[in-house]
Amino acid sequence: MMETLYYWFHQRQVGRQLRRFDMYIPENLADLLDYLDAHQSGVHLIANGSDLINRIQRRQINPKILVDLSGLSEFSYVRKDGKTIKIGAMTTISDIIASSVIDTRHDVFREVAAQFGGPSIINMATIGGNVCAASSSEDLLPVLLVLDAQVRLRSKRGDRILRLDDFLKGKRIIHLNPNEILVEVMFPELDDYSVCAFEKIGMRNSLIIAFVNSAVYLKLDKRTRRIETIRIAFNRVAGKIPERAKRTEEKLHGQVVNEHVMKEGLSSLNAELRLSSDFRVSSEYRTDVAGVLFKRALNRCAEKLLGEAVIV
Amino acid sequence: MESHERLLDVLRDRLGLKGTKEGCSTGDCGICAVLMDGKLVNSCLIFAVQARNKKIVTIEGIGTETNLHPLQKAFIKWNASQCGYCIPAMILASKDLLDKNPTPTEDEIKKATSGILCRCTGYLKIVEAVKTAAQEMKK
Repeated sequence: MMETLYYWFHQRQVGRQLRRFDMYIPENLADLLDYLDAHQSGVHLIANGSDLINRIQRRQINPKILVDLSGLSEFSYVRKDGKTIKIGAMTTISDIIASSVIDTRHDVFREVAAQFGGPSIINMATIGGNVCAASSSEDLLPVLLVLDAQVRLRSKRGDRILRLDDFLKGKRIIHLNPNEILVEVMFPELDDYSVCAFEKIGMRNSLIIAFVNSAVYLKLDKRTRRIETIRIAFNRVAGKIPERAKRTEEKLHGQVVNEHVMKEGLSSLNAELRLSSDFRVSSEYRTDVAGVLFKRALNRCAEKLLGEAVIV
Repeated sequence: MESHERLLDVLRDRLGLKGTKEGCSTGDCGICAVLMDGKLVNSCLIFAVQARNKKIVTIEGIGTETNLHPLQKAFIKWNASQCGYCIPAMILASKDLLDKNPTPTEDEIKKATSGILCRCTGYLKIVEAVKTAAQEMKK
């Protein structure tokens, strides 16, 4: 009796009552897809839950049923298929960086992991969960956007593939049908002429939600130092989700990597970025620091490819 | 056990293992950390049902009263605990590090414990304690 009272009191005291819901644990993939086909409302998918639990606590969602994906071990993999890298949706961040497929060329994933929460968070967070959370807090999204990633969605009726930027509709809104799950994220591998870097800044050195984060992909003709392709993404550009800064990309395309390109990039970003103020920081600070992160990321790309930074 | 119960709730309230603490309930402080199948995780972010069939190690599983783990001895030696709230998580995170990397640098120790916030000690003694324990465990 006392134990029950104590338990109830404790739950109230903590002040974060999780809503009551049921959990459905599918026996296998076929069972899962059948279930989703049959139940299309009030149902939420849960991977390892590191983002979802917070959303339930904050009452941002009120699921009646959570469908547990954590038992589906077949979606935890990192593979190379020709020139494409394919990562299963349930692969954790720490498993991604431990994979030999993610070699030093793909160190950008280690750059993300080093600033992604902390050691325990990367053991739990999955790439699928990060992509489907679809907000400006998800660190993998700018990187996957500049890597030109695609997502594979599966339902009882089969698979479909979408470009990541088409999959992301808006803040916390994705083009995922109620009977579908995300099974795989894929992108073309980096090679001797292409490289990617990630930068993030927040309130402290660990356990941070970014004020701004940024990813840059650079493909160069090493001899002429001309930019063949540059892709730049931030956790916010003009809306509330990660996007590419396409106007700036177009301006820099074809130019030689040097100080002038850096300055032109910074001034173009200043015009293209429409970042808001919020409880964290002001829009002026955000825009300014976005430029700094772009500079750092571009410098690191140049260092990785050419052995020297663009500007000191 | 109900669907909404987290691993942390089951450990503390159903199993009576009070060593694992609840700090923020949102995965931002790390003091609920436990080892699940050998990996450091935040027990406030895992539904108990999702921890089925997994091996969980909490602070109660580290050392005994008569035979403390070298980490525990080192923490005592260095006075690395003040209020004590973050210590179970710090010990588990350090144990995880030393099991995988017996000779960590200071930087590696700091990174391994970077997911756990401490308001009292300023972290210095915790880092020194881990260094001492690493040396002891090499012997």
